[in-house]
Amino acid sequence: MDAASDLDALSAIIAGCLRRMRLQRALRWCLLGLDLGLLLALLLGGAGLLQARLVRPQFLALVAALALLLPLLSALVAYLWPLPRLHAVRRLDRVLGLQERLSTALEISEAERAANPLLRQQLEDTRRLARDVRPAHDLPLRLRPVEAAPALLCLLLIALLWVRGESLFQAARRAASVKQAVTQQQENIEKILSQIDKNNTLTEAQKQALSQPLEQALQDLQKNPSQESSVSVLTSTGEKLQSLSDPQAQQMGQALQQAGGQLSSQAGSPLQSVGQALEQGNAVGAAAQLAQIDPGKLSPAQAQQLAGQLQSLAQALGSSNPALASQLQQAAHALQSGDTAAAQQALQSAAQSLAQAGQQLAFSQVAGQAGQVMQQGAGQVLAAGGGQQADQPGAGQIPGQGQGQAGAQPGGSQPGGSQEGQSNSGSGHGAGQGQAGGQEAPDSPIDQNNGPGSGAEATYEQIYAPSLLGGSGGSNVQLPDSGQDGTTIGQGPITPGENNQSMVPYQQVLGQYEQVNQQAIDNGAVPFEFMQVVRSYFDSLKP
Amino acid sequence: MSELTVEQFRLGAARVEEEVGKVIVGQVDVVRHVLVSILAGGHVLLEGVPGLGKTMLIRTLGQALDLKFSRIQFTPDLMPADILGTEILSDEGGRREFRFRSGPIFANLVLADEINRATPKTQSALLEAMQEGSVTVAQKTYRLDEPFFVLATQNPLEMEGTYPLPEAQVDRFFFKVNVDMPQVADMVEILDRTTGKSVPSAGCVISGAEIMQMRDLARGVPVASHVREYIAELVLATHPEQEEATPLVKKYVRYGVSPRGGQALMLGAKVTALLEGRYNVAFDDVHAVAPAALRHRLILNFDGLAEGIRPDDVIAELVEHVPQGNA
Repeated sequence: MDAASDLDALSAIIAGCLRRMRLQRALRWCLLGLDLGLLLALLLGGAGLLQARLVRPQFLALVAALALLLPLLSALVAYLWPLPRLHAVRRLDRVLGLQERLSTALEISEAERAANPLLRQQLEDTRRLARDVRPAHDLPLRLRPVEAAPALLCLLLIALLWVRGESLFQAARRAASVKQAVTQQQENIEKILSQIDKNNTLTEAQKQALSQPLEQALQDLQKNPSQESSVSVLTSTGEKLQSLSDPQAQQMGQALQQAGGQLSSQAGSPLQSVGQALEQGNAVGAAAQLAQIDPGKLSPAQAQQLAGQLQSLAQALGSSNPALASQLQQAAHALQSGDTAAAQQALQSAAQSLAQAGQQLAFSQVAGQAGQVMQQGAGQVLAAGGGQQADQPGAGQIPGQGQGQAGAQPGGSQPGGSQEGQSNSGSGHGAGQGQAGGQEAPDSPIDQNNGPGSGAEATYEQIYAPSLLGGSGGSNVQLPDSGQDGTTIGQGPITPGENNQSMVPYQQVLGQYEQVNQQAIDNGAVPFEFMQVVRSYFDSLKP
Repeated sequence: MSELTVEQFRLGAARVEEEVGKVIVGQVDVVRHVLVSILAGGHVLLEGVPGLGKTMLIRTLGQALDLKFSRIQFTPDLMPADILGTEILSDEGGRREFRFRSGPIFANLVLADEINRATPKTQSALLEAMQEGSVTVAQKTYRLDEPFFVLATQNPLEMEGTYPLPEAQVDRFFFKVNVDMPQVADMVEILDRTTGKSVPSAGCVISGAEIMQMRDLARGVPVASHVREYIAELVLATHPEQEEATPLVKKYVRYGVSPRGGQALMLGAKVTALLEGRYNVAFDDVHAVAPAALRHRLILNFDGLAEGIRPDDVIAELVEHVPQGNA
């Protein structure tokens, strides 16, 4: 065999060995990649859990992705990365015990070999020994335990996190729910702001008064979307908005609605259109209708009928809006006395007052409903964080939507009363609390001019807020039969340490009371700031 | 012998070792290192306590190699002329003239016994012969016959009245070989061989011409680039001011190995490779000759001497720590 064929044979052997070495390197780097991947998964997953950002599926996906991706990528790169031939051959010499034969043979040029017989013999000697090399046998694919140890350790720690980290996962789930709930509330606030802006019934000053707390709340939520902060912001905003709502306006609205119902039922009467507008809660529209009445064009009989209707309307509004009632009374008197000019003037004044009352009513309703949206939003955020709030309206369902007064109310800016509400895209899971009987809740938190409906408005229960515990609290609520003594079922000794005459140990009924307490918390009946107090109380009762 | 093959090289060396082994019991490494040095064309300094057979070894080698052998017993009153030779006045046929009478240095194999007993002046008389292969007397230079080897011995114990070899002289020795006490079995064998009726002797197995051929063949052994780099790094690492220097070197070495040490490493490794039946130099060959090639070229500082550090300890650390090329 000549030198050229010796070299060819040697090259073939070396090529086989190099492939095997690349495979060895790929396997090694695969293991190192696994080490790195699991370490990264542990660090990132751990950090994510500590920051309550990863729920179980996300944690699992992160670990799986890093544990698969990095090893595969490392192995691929390691296999494809070129292996310097001379460097590899030197390593082969060492690994195969060839005592630098291969590297020496490869460094010798053909010219040198031709000039020195010893070099030719060196090549033959190298080929003879290299012929016995079996790459698969001599270059085994082995994993180094030292390099596998970090992966095993990381895996163990990850498994530990998975098994023992339930509290962390729960916190992450809560945080995700809170984030979603806060985002939902931000969207709600934006929708409310949009509706306020579009509400033509409200004056600019009223819009400004309503928008300011909402915009502030929006900014605060964006700045600090944590659960505590969000609940606080939503609650305080709700209280601010509720404070803008005038309870007398609601009473006046009901009176106007009732009076409007009576007027609209009198077919052919001059105030029928006014009554219809009032019945629909459109006081501003009713004012416009009232202003259009010209007493001079009425027959004496119609004038008398109008005077009578105005008097009855004045009586209905006497307690809620005395000024308007007085003006209506004046118009009625003027009509009865035949003074059409005075009647006209009094009607104009009454229309103006009615329009102002309508604006006040709309303002109060919007403020009240927006406040309710905020309060319920706080409950939703709270429920998302701790699960205390149940049966809350869904994400797309907010007060005023399922209460029968909102969906189909014509807006003040839509004379003629289009029956279209906002887009019906509500997707909440909570059942509406209203009495609208199957009316689908629109997507808008507050409908425009959604004044009191005909008996469809729901009244919210006032939340019991103790005034002495933990702050100023809310208004007191008189419970039924409060202040009366209950029925005494037994009288035990008062002396401490002695048993009373209770027939049931409290441990047996503690569970029931706790259940009732939990329901109250879930229903949002207990204010957020007192939940912990109530919980601590029941915890202290546990045997 | 026109074209010497590696096999012939190996067999020739094996025959020498076998013949020496008839007389010298054990000391296999010592014999191997001396033989490597001779085949590489270098001089050897043997160091050991008296009675270990240093002189016997060299004498036996002289018998095994068909070379002109001379022995010089170095004493304090030995003069350079006693080694190199001198001009004497001769009277032949009434004509009187100075004629050069060559000294014992004019041989192929010179045994310089107890070389450290002579004065530095006399020791230095060997310098030119060892390095240049020639001697200069009375402004005339005389070429020494090839091959020329100086095999010197010295006793490390008796320091009274001795003159340590200067560094320049020591550096000219290819190897410094330590001769240690034999093992029990070897000792018994020595007693048997030397106290009987017959005294073993070695036969002549290789001629001077063959040695020259073997030396040429050894010089042609290829060395891979990373092995060459390793030798160079090994030598440089013996210098305490170098970054590659090991902790022991930095702490205990005053002067490192000269380039001659590197040459000795390379040539010694080439011969060793051939003796192993290999056609190229391996790291193992370098490691095999490193102590003998480097130990006398490492100059320890005061701390090293005071703490009893041996050059062999430093060399062992060097071999362990200096990376073997890129492999």
